[in-house]
Order: sequence, then structure tokens, then C-alpha cells
Amino acid sequence: MIELVHLEKKYEQTTPLKDVNTVINDGDVISIIGPSGTGKSTLIRCINLLDRPTGGKIILNGEEITAPGYPVEKARRKMGMVFQSFNLFGHLTVIENLMAAPMDILRKSKQEAYDTGVELLKRVGLSGRELRYPHQLSGGQKQRVAIARTLAMDPEIILFDEPTSALDPGMVGEVQSVIRDLSQTGKTLMIVTHEMSFARAICNRVFYMDQGGIYEDGSPEQIFDDPKGELTRRFIRKLKLLELEIDSTEFDFALASGEIDKYCLQNDVPPRTKYRIRLAFEELVQQLLMPVLKRTAVHVTVEYSPVEMQTRVTASYGGERFDPAEGGNDLSYNVLKSSVEDLSYEYDLNEEKSNIVNLVIKESKDM
Amino acid sequence: MKALKANCRIAKMNRRIKYAALLVVLIALALSLSTCANKKEAITSVSQLNDPNITIGVAQDTAEGKLVEKDYPKANIQYIRGEVEAYTSVSQGKIDAFIFNKVTMQTAMVNGLTGVRILDESVGEPVYSGVAFSPVTKVPDLENSVNAFVDELTADGTLDEMTKRWIGTADAKMPNIPKPSNPQKHVVIGTTGANMPYTYYSGTDLTGYDIELAYRFALWFDASIEFKVYDYSGIVPAAQSGDIDCIFANMFITPERQEALHFSHPTSKSDIGVMVKDDSAANPIGNIRNSFYKTFVREGRYRLFIKGIGMTLLITILAVLCGSILGFSIFMACRRGNRIANGFARTFNWLMNGMPIVVLLMILYYIVFASTDIPGSIVAALAFTLTFGAEVYSMLRTAVGTIDIGQTEAAYTLGYTDLKAFFRHILPQAMPHFMPPYKAALVNLVKATSIVGYVGVQDLTKVADIVRSRTYEAFFPLIAIAVIYFILAGILVFFIDRLMNKLDPTKRKAEDILKGVRTHD
Repeated sequence: MIELVHLEKKYEQTTPLKDVNTVINDGDVISIIGPSGTGKSTLIRCINLLDRPTGGKIILNGEEITAPGYPVEKARRKMGMVFQSFNLFGHLTVIENLMAAPMDILRKSKQEAYDTGVELLKRVGLSGRELRYPHQLSGGQKQRVAIARTLAMDPEIILFDEPTSALDPGMVGEVQSVIRDLSQTGKTLMIVTHEMSFARAICNRVFYMDQGGIYEDGSPEQIFDDPKGELTRRFIRKLKLLELEIDSTEFDFALASGEIDKYCLQNDVPPRTKYRIRLAFEELVQQLLMPVLKRTAVHVTVEYSPVEMQTRVTASYGGERFDPAEGGNDLSYNVLKSSVEDLSYEYDLNEEKSNIVNLVIKESKDM
Repeated sequence: MKALKANCRIAKMNRRIKYAALLVVLIALALSLSTCANKKEAITSVSQLNDPNITIGVAQDTAEGKLVEKDYPKANIQYIRGEVEAYTSVSQGKIDAFIFNKVTMQTAMVNGLTGVRILDESVGEPVYSGVAFSPVTKVPDLENSVNAFVDELTADGTLDEMTKRWIGTADAKMPNIPKPSNPQKHVVIGTTGANMPYTYYSGTDLTGYDIELAYRFALWFDASIEFKVYDYSGIVPAAQSGDIDCIFANMFITPERQEALHFSHPTSKSDIGVMVKDDSAANPIGNIRNSFYKTFVREGRYRLFIKGIGMTLLITILAVLCGSILGFSIFMACRRGNRIANGFARTFNWLMNGMPIVVLLMILYYIVFASTDIPGSIVAALAFTLTFGAEVYSMLRTAVGTIDIGQTEAAYTLGYTDLKAFFRHILPQAMPHFMPPYKAALVNLVKATSIVGYVGVQDLTKVADIVRSRTYEAFFPLIAIAVIYFILAGILVFFIDRLMNKLDPTKRKAEDILKGVRTHD
């Protein structure tokens, strides 16, 4: 059990944690969400004292680990950590990464450390990779080894600092499934993540962090479907609804494409659907609208509904009536049409942006 | 793998071709320079010297320079580090004349120097040489004793006898002078060992007019003596700092020198002569076998070289070991250090890197350790330890700095202490970044030790100078030591490369990684 009492972390310029108070029970699986810069990472780095809190107390199983003179290593031995950038020891093979700390810190015999290591590698699905070096592994494999390395010390609590955000989208699943298995073992887990469906599936609590503390603490259903706080509501809406504002032909479309990827990942959108969303976005905005509209801003929203398994894309823009079907670019228009289930255009003078294009993206049947 | 090897081979070959091309360019340059010496009218009289078209060479730190400035104001003066270089410059026409002790030059010619001749006329007044004394010598009554001794030898004709033995002859032999059986005193004598016929090496032993004089004085004074060998530029500071008690090196007694040091009554007299090019002489570049024989075999001179190599290696290895330990210690002390520790390290680094090593060496030898008995070789090893330590410190900082902070954090979260994390996970990963510059620094160090002659240490370079002063071969000994330096550096690199392979954890064999473990497959 971890108690955080008036926890504060101040830097010279900013104060990411002003006053954090909570109790983390044994066996809790907690997802920590929130806008960037609200101290999500700082919170878990403070809990295992990688960042020393500047105020308040952390009480681990009744012992105040923030007390002056308390042996930091003792506290850390009970808390594993998995990093965004894996941080495997590059000079050691996979099995040695798993054996090093148990031998060096817990004074286990080489044989014992090896046996545990082999067992853990099997558990994360990497049997047979014992003598590889980290640089010979893919990102997802590295992260799984990193999780196994943490497990080798048999910690009570494992802290995950955005464990999948440095991974290619295709590798997120393998790491998530390892964490999902882990969540069944009764260990306390704290995970900084924005992947809502993943959080929904394994967590019993979600911390929404904002304004220097835990702004809202509740079950995944409460936070994701019915948030109480105004800031939480706004954040969740943003997670569920992607809004893009394209204001000129020089707009950074690569960036927009990245935003769409991120959105799809957070909302667990199937890959084929994601591809179609991107395609529709590019054809509609980049090929059909912007060449004609030039400097007129286009507002695009993307919303995926997991219940209906449906994605709606809308593009709205001001100025005179302009139906993309009549722009003369038939090739792009046909490509657009082939990727959507439904396409409609309205002109409504009552709206500020009077042209509105509505798309419903085709869903893959086989996913 | 194969492609990699092939690549390596191509790279090696490319390198070889590059070196070969470089060598060809250098040789071509040397040849073209040696052939384009301009033809001038032969000099037959000293009266021709006072001419703006004439360049006169004088040896650095000797008395002749003043004389030339005074008597030949129109001529250009060029200061030359040693006599052998001067002889070569004259024979190649780089300077028109070399003004120096006539006896020394005549002895050189008797001993086989060619391509030059000495004018019959002398310049200026004859000069007298004497024994010079350290102003801070602790030997009681040394100056008066030497004077009494010199007066006695002048009166009884011994000096004349010695002059006959040494001056203007080839293959002079040191007479057998007994050592005092139970000496009560000890005198440290500075000499140059590179000025025939006064002080020079025959094989590995010092010999010559002044050396005989010193042995005779030891017997007369009932003292044990010890020789220390310096360059002309180092010998006066050595006397001033009290490193040596007196100088037996045929030093001309000049008013300027008398301001710095006291001199004895004259021990010898010589004219100042002029050496010019002998156009009738054959090409001065002799055959290599002869040069090799003279440089290494005659009088067993290879023993000098072996000693020199030993000294160079001793200084290098001491500096490498102690410097590495020093650099590592400073790094460890300042790794998580406060502002004071870091400031100290930075200042140390700045001082060591900012100062020419020769200056540091002189400061240590002539100022810091002036009053102690620590030999020059140890002071040299210390100087190189300091600079090498500073280098090791910076290289370690850079190498460790390349390791991502995440590695340290990962170790922390597994329960490692700071120090344990460093030794177990950070340092092993930093080593592959550290070793290549370390290797380069080591090779540089071997070569950098060639300046220790300044503080009277006979390393490889100094030995070559000594041999050159006997053989009058300007190039061969230099090229020989260049080759030896190449070999020494090559051997060191070989060992470092092996060490590098040992230290690179990614180059371990699979069976070593899991040694002593029962695997299940």
C-alpha cells in the first residue's frame, strides 16, 4: 500500500505536482491520464524516488520512504519500473539483463537467476532469445524484456512510464498483452497511458491528472463515460474527438497524419479503418478542398464510436457554396467515395462555416 | 561478415596506398630542396663574411653568437640547435658559414666529417674555457679547490699533456685514472656529452678532455663524482637550481655567463674558427650500411639505444599507469561532485592542457623539485602523469557522457546503488567509447616523451643526439629513432587493442556468458 500525503515536486521553472493525496491499495491497477505537462511521469518517478519530492510524504507499507536517511535502494527494490525508452543494458545479453540485478542485489546464485530468467522470458513470449543483445531486438521485444527484467526482482509494485508510446503501432499489442497478463497476478500496477480501451480492459482505477494533482480519481467507466470534473470532460472529449484546423495550402499534412495515428491508437481504431480515415482526409482536404479554397480555413473532426464501430469525419468551411463533387477533380473524388460508406454535402447559411461535408468511413468486415 | 572483412582489407590497402603516396611526396620534397641550394662564390677569407648576402650559423646558447653580432653586423645570423645540424647545414649550403670553437670543428673533421672545410684564419680573440660553479652548491670550498687544482695542473704541464692527447686527434683514449679509495665528499658534475673532444660518449661511457679533468679532480679532491648530462640550453638552469655542483663541459668564459655563474681559472684555450662548404667534396649522403655501422655497431652504440628505449618506455609506462589512475580518481571524485570538486578538476584540466608539456617539465624540474634529489626521469614521468591524467579525465567524462541517463535510472529502479550501477552497467558501456581516444593519446604520449632531454634524461631522442654528435650523421640516427618510435607505438597499440577486445562486453563468447550454468536445452 502506498500513501501519498501532500506530495509536492517543484522545479525552478515549474511545479508539476502541487499537492497530491491518495492511497494506492495492493492489487490496484491504475491508469494515469491527463494532458502533457501535468506531472503524470513526475508522479511515478517521485513514487520510486528517481525524482526526489520537494515536499510531502510517501508512505510505503507503513514506512515513510521520503524520510531523510531512509535507504532509497530498499524502497526501490519493492518497486519496478518500465520506461518509455526501454533502457535495457546494452552491454548485456537478454538473459544477463534479467540475471544481473537478482545476482548483484538479491545475491541469488547464477543458476537460480538463470532459471528465473528463462521462466520469465517464456512468460513474455521470448524463449530462445536469451543470448541476443538488446540492439538485435524490435521495440516491442525490448519492452517485453524490460518488463521481464523488472519481474525478475519480484517487485510488489510496477510503474509503467508510457510503455508503448515509443513503439511502432504494430508492436503496441504484444506489449499490452504482456501487461494485461500481469494485471491478473495481483501486483499493483500504475501505468501512464492514453489508450482508453486498454485502460478500460485492465484497470480498476483511472487518475486524471491536471492542475498539479489528481484532479479526478475513479473507475474507468466513470472517467471515460461520465466524467464529473469540467477539465476531465474536456480532456476525454478531446481523446474521443479529433479536431484539426487546416488554414492554408502550406499546412503540415504529415503532422495531421500523425495526429490521426495517435487518435486511432488511443481509441483502439482497427488498422484498416485508420488507413481509410487517413486516405479520406488526404483526398478530401488536401486534394479537393485546399487547392480551391486556398486561404479559407477548414475545420475537420474525426470521431470513432467503439459501440457502433463507426467513424464519422466532418469538414466544414466558410465562403461561397462549394461542393467538392463539382470541383473538377474526379479522380480524387472517386478515391474518396471508394473509402467511405456515406458522403453528404450541405450548405447552411445559418452556420458560421456554411459548407459542411459529412463522411462515414467504411468499416472492415473482417476485423 | 565476409563483406566486412573485405571492406576492412580494402580500407587497409587504401591506407597503405595513402602512406606510400605520402612517403613519395616527402622524399621528392627532400630531394628537390637538397638540390636547389644556390651557387655562391666560395668563401676563402673571414673578410668576406660581413655581407648582407651571407648567412652565418652559430650554435644556440653558446658564446659565439655575441661575437658574430659584433664583428659581422651586416651578415644574417641563424641560431642552430646543435653542432651536427650546423655541419650539415654548411655542407648543404643552407648557411654559408658556421662560427664555432675551432678545436671542436677540427676534431670533427679528423673523425670523418666531410663536405666542409675550416678556414685557416680565426675570428676574434682566442677564448678561454673553464669550470663553472653552481651558486648554491653545498660542496664546501669547491670553487677555490678547483682553482688550486687547475693552477697545479697548468704549472706541472698536465694540461699541455692532456691537450696533446685530446685535441686534433682521432681515437683518443682516456688514461687510467684511479678513483679515490675512500672519498669523503660527493660532487655532481654537469656535462653535455655531445662536444668532441671535450665531453662525448665512447660507447656508453663519457669521455673527453673535460671528463679526464673531472676524474683527475675527483682524485685530487678525494671526492666521488657523478655525471649528469644536459643540453647546452638546460645545463645553466641546472647549475643555477643546484641540481649539479659544477659544469665540466668546456664552457667559454664570457662576461655574460659570469653574471650567472662563477668560473674557474681557464682550463683550456681555443680559437674561434669558421667552417664553410667544401665544393670539391663528394655528395655528403653516404651509404646506408656505413651509416648503420657507425650509428649502431661502432663502440657498441646499440647499448646506448637500448638504454634510451628503456628510459622512454619507463617514462611512458609509468605515465600511462599513474596517469590513468590519476585521471580515473579525479573523474570518480568529481562524478557526483559539488561545485568545488568540479572547479578543481576543471582548473587542473585547464592548466595541464593549456601549458606546453616542456614548460611544465621545466617548472617541475627546475622550480618545484629543484632542491630535491629526485632524478629527472621520475620528474619527467610525473609531468607526463599529470598531463596524461588530465587527458584521461576528459576522455572519461566524454565517454561516460555518451551513455544515456536512462541506463543509470534503470539500474536505480532495480535497486542498484549509484556506485554499483556505475561500475556494473555504465562504465562497461562507456569503455568502447573511451578506448579509441585513449589509444591515440597513448601513441601521442610515447612521442611526446622525446622532450625529456631538457631535464637531463637520456631517452631515445637524447641518445640519438649523442650518437649524432659522434658520427656527424644528421639523418640516419633520426630516421632510425623514428622507426623505433613507430615500433614502440605499434607494440603499445597491439596490447591496447587486445585489452579493448577483452573489455568489450559484446565480444564475449556465448559459452563464457553462461559459464557454470546448467541450461535446459
